[in-house]
Amino acid sequence: MKRRGRGIACMWYPIGFTVSANPSAAVVKVNEDGTATLLTGTVETGQGSLTILAQIVAEELGIATDDVHVVSADTDTTPMDTGAIASRTTYVTGNAARLAAEKAKKILFEVAAPLLGVKPEHLEVGDHKIRIKGFPQRSLHIGDVAERARGVNGDPPIGSASFNPATAALDAETGQGKPFATYVYATQIAEVEVDDETGEVEVLRIAASHDCGTPINPMLVEGQVEGGISMGVGFALEEEILFDATGRQINPNLTNYIMPTSLDMPKVEVDIVDSYDPTGPFGAKGVGEPTCVPTAAAILNAIHDAVGVRVTSLPATAEKVYAALKAKRAQEGKRLGAGA
Amino acid sequence: MDRHDTEDKKSAVVERKTPGDALGEMLRAPAAAPLVPTPLETLVPEARQQTPAVRQRATRPDARLHGLGQTKYIDDMYFPGMLYAKIKRAGIASARVLRVDTSEAEKMPGVIAVVTGRDVPCNSFGPSLKDQPVLAGERVFHAGDGVAAVAAVTEQIAAEALEKITVEYEPLTPVLDPLVSLGLETPGVHAPSPNIYGHKVIKKGDVEKGFAASHRIFEASYRTQMVEHVPLEPHCSIAMWDANGRVTIYTTLGRITLGRADLARTLAVPMSRIRIIATVVGGNFGGKNEITTEPVVALLAKKTGRPVKCTYTRPEEFISSTTRHPIVMDYKTGVTKEGRILARTIRLVLEGGAYCSWSETTLAKACILSPGPYDIENIHAEAFVVYTNKTMTGAMRGFGAPQVCFAYESHMDDIAKALDIDPLEIRLRNALREGSLSPTGQQLQSVVVRDTLLQAAQRFGWSGDGAAS
Repeated sequence: MKRRGRGIACMWYPIGFTVSANPSAAVVKVNEDGTATLLTGTVETGQGSLTILAQIVAEELGIATDDVHVVSADTDTTPMDTGAIASRTTYVTGNAARLAAEKAKKILFEVAAPLLGVKPEHLEVGDHKIRIKGFPQRSLHIGDVAERARGVNGDPPIGSASFNPATAALDAETGQGKPFATYVYATQIAEVEVDDETGEVEVLRIAASHDCGTPINPMLVEGQVEGGISMGVGFALEEEILFDATGRQINPNLTNYIMPTSLDMPKVEVDIVDSYDPTGPFGAKGVGEPTCVPTAAAILNAIHDAVGVRVTSLPATAEKVYAALKAKRAQEGKRLGAGA
Repeated sequence: MDRHDTEDKKSAVVERKTPGDALGEMLRAPAAAPLVPTPLETLVPEARQQTPAVRQRATRPDARLHGLGQTKYIDDMYFPGMLYAKIKRAGIASARVLRVDTSEAEKMPGVIAVVTGRDVPCNSFGPSLKDQPVLAGERVFHAGDGVAAVAAVTEQIAAEALEKITVEYEPLTPVLDPLVSLGLETPGVHAPSPNIYGHKVIKKGDVEKGFAASHRIFEASYRTQMVEHVPLEPHCSIAMWDANGRVTIYTTLGRITLGRADLARTLAVPMSRIRIIATVVGGNFGGKNEITTEPVVALLAKKTGRPVKCTYTRPEEFISSTTRHPIVMDYKTGVTKEGRILARTIRLVLEGGAYCSWSETTLAKACILSPGPYDIENIHAEAFVVYTNKTMTGAMRGFGAPQVCFAYESHMDDIAKALDIDPLEIRLRNALREGSLSPTGQQLQSVVVRDTLLQAAQRFGWSGDGAAS
């Protein structure tokens, strides 16, 4: 008989390295037509980080994402970066990119201020323009200002900056200290169906609520959550590298190492919780790794809810769930026998 | 350009491609997708052009290339005269290497060069402990270790040449269980270094006092398995040297700054003479955070004077790249009648496999996160990472967090059930709040764990009768 159950799991996860420095640097050049180029040493590994960085630079300069071209991942041409690791790109590289864009913007403000007859601190950017705060009708196109900065003032609008998260060393004896600048939080709730005759588990649905600070791009956050959940489903139910008695792997191939396919994916409902971190770029933190953290826990709690067995080692394969069910029945049978 | 125009152009392209002699033309054509003119204007999505840019659902510029099959991954890259490298794997978990005989392989037509651990200028690297060789030296520490590498004119010849390499081993008893490794005095996996190569302690408050004040105390143990990242695209790199002694390496690496430092060390070449270009990465998940094939192809390219490419096979992805740390986790938790956690002790034993890799940060993150997102006054968490003669573990999405979350959340549900409290309710009662002190005594900001609990519960339709079910 197939039995349904539900399970909840929440988590917390830090952004960046544990205590140790993990800086990023960035260079932003504003072109003479008001578009911009970002140089970054991070590598796009499929998560959309370069789009996030383009959005951050665009926001700082008051231009559109499409106006920012990102050059990345070449040690000859791009500044150093700790890389695509530790859910740090949006927060750390994003902060560096924002600071670099801010420096380029300062040059533009210096050029625009006398033309608009105000001081640089009275200027703001928005909609491809440099304009007077509270008086947006008085404005100049960012491209005209960039062209003038280079061609008249001889001060091309280029900014470079670096960022490193603020941490404090941990005490060797007690581990007390500030290992990370910030953390994100999440909850996932899973609904499963367990066949109590075979031990097979099907994950039907997962509701996922994630914190990432400001979502720079909600669509990419949702993509990360869906991808993380697919890894979590494999970790919970199927995936395991097996070894023989001599220490050699016995299933190093995709025939015998079972992982979820799109057909095994549950229905995923993603929500992004309201959150703002003042230390992140425009309030953003990160989301990459945390998306796969609570999935297995939620699924295992749902299995327990469905059939009353607590599997304490991953993965909860059908064999393992079946063995736990059998042991539970034997236990119950014994109790019944003792009572009779 | 309006929509009507675009459709007209598309149909014109289709017509050109289907003339009467199409079959002959197709047979002569290379086996690659034909280049179809792309109507740029109509495909540019609105969100990318909006200001302000933040919070826009902007599409990725690389998404269009992926969708059109135009992305050039490293496997699509070829250079004139390029050779193909293969690496011979030890296939034995622990052994002394007595002799490596490559002479028969070198005699094969089409084999241009062979290297072993002796050819590596500095045969050790690693993100913290430098305990990993590029190719095995005098010892094999796990079955996936490389012992020699061949560069040949085709991949097939390189693979056949591996069969001609003979290695004589003196087998040693492997250490295969992390708990055995933890208790082991000698012999160590990397003797004279101890098997426990990382240790972390978090102490907050007074756990004994917390347990003494508890209504009930719960204990449980959990274990997790070793898993692979399984990126669709395997690890791959291409190296070529110029006449000035400068090497350019195209690679699937996700961290080029560290990669260049590791290459400068292992090749003994100044950083200014190394250029790393990361290609479009087809999946990383933490598995492409350190060098693998890069120094090998660099050495073979230097030796042959030709570009050399090496791509991991799927089995190599499993046996020779990093994996997720299996962890043995023991929890003890004291609670009040209302389910408030008063004290928690945790012991974690992480299996590091043959090399340290990213164990240091995994150990720290697992230990710090292990109490869970809960406001607990008294905590004692202790974590160890030990060597075994198994596949090395390293960085993988979550750095120890999915493992400890499985433990603390399973434990939480068992406590809730025993106390007849709804699983959502017990979490809300214990959740961290704005300004709470973390296990390391850090005052936390932008804490929204309760918000995520309530939001997910609302979305799921969680009703508060969970304890009864």
